[in-house]
Amino acid sequence: MSEDRINLEQSTVLLVDDTPQALDMLSSIFQGFGVKEQIKCPSAVEAVKVVQQRSVDLIVIDCGDPEMDGYAFTRWLRRETPAPLRYTPVILVTGHAAQSKVQEGRDCGVSFVIAKPLTPAVLLKRILWLGADEREFVECETYVGPDRRVRNFGPPVGMAGRRKGDLSAHVGHAVEANMDQADIDMLLKPQRVSL
Amino acid sequence: MTEAVTTRIQTTLAQQMAQPGGRTLADVERRANERLGRHKAEVMVEVEAAVAGLEGLCVAQPETPAGEVYRLATRVLDLAGFFETGPLFDAGYSLADMADRMAAADAWEWPPVQVHVQALRLILNAGCERNAATDHLLAGLKAVAGKTGA
Repeated sequence: MSEDRINLEQSTVLLVDDTPQALDMLSSIFQGFGVKEQIKCPSAVEAVKVVQQRSVDLIVIDCGDPEMDGYAFTRWLRRETPAPLRYTPVILVTGHAAQSKVQEGRDCGVSFVIAKPLTPAVLLKRILWLGADEREFVECETYVGPDRRVRNFGPPVGMAGRRKGDLSAHVGHAVEANMDQADIDMLLKPQRVSL
Repeated sequence: MTEAVTTRIQTTLAQQMAQPGGRTLADVERRANERLGRHKAEVMVEVEAAVAGLEGLCVAQPETPAGEVYRLATRVLDLAGFFETGPLFDAGYSLADMADRMAAADAWEWPPVQVHVQALRLILNAGCERNAATDHLLAGLKAVAGKTGA
């Protein structure tokens, strides 16, 4: 992927917004981005029907419908659908996140939350990021979705890791003698190398 | 504690984006901005209607106003949030946030809501320009919102 180009010519995007004008604006932005196809849904319930019938490559959702909002939709997608559908990237757009929704936003499994104001430039950056996303997909009892730790620094200090790749939090005893200062100096000292 | 299962995946989106071709970032951004701009006049009419709705609520002061005030404030955000409406968006956000907190704490007060709605109207009438006056106005809203019982 060239750094100054973006190729969405093969991509199908599902846009979900319960405000019709906002849905039209999202659609205009994605027209500008040059996507192959976009499917517009006025509710998350309709979006469920769409993804049950066909595959999409990206979902952008801004939906506060009490019957099913963007958080509930993402949770359903991540937990109730088979792979690879459940891996579909989801960008959740929000104008204001109510206090009661902040934790839900963290836990529902979205790929990104974008808080408005939303400009095409911001959306583009997030899509580029998704294109290069190397985060692993995590599935456990309390969370299903992309790894929320964008950088993997291992488990929190003092806690045992829960993932197979996590190293032990216990450092343990030294297995060989400490280096003396002269050895360390030798490592740091620039040396001329003859080839 | 359950063990988490991790899977390394490459999404179809990533595979498609890795294909050669496409357009330059500058080009797609320009095209998107151009298409989005076509909606602005129509959307600002809707924003104005939402502010008028909030003004109506401030006059009528219904007994259970929180849901409707929050709905109209977030409507302002949902629509204005696609354009550079700086102080209008900030004032709308402050109102939505305050309404959410007051509703959660069951401590509704009309005066701070009225101040926010008046500020929204002032900003809207002044063309949503950010300047020293709107900065003062927003600082005032922050102070008002901070003093609510919620």
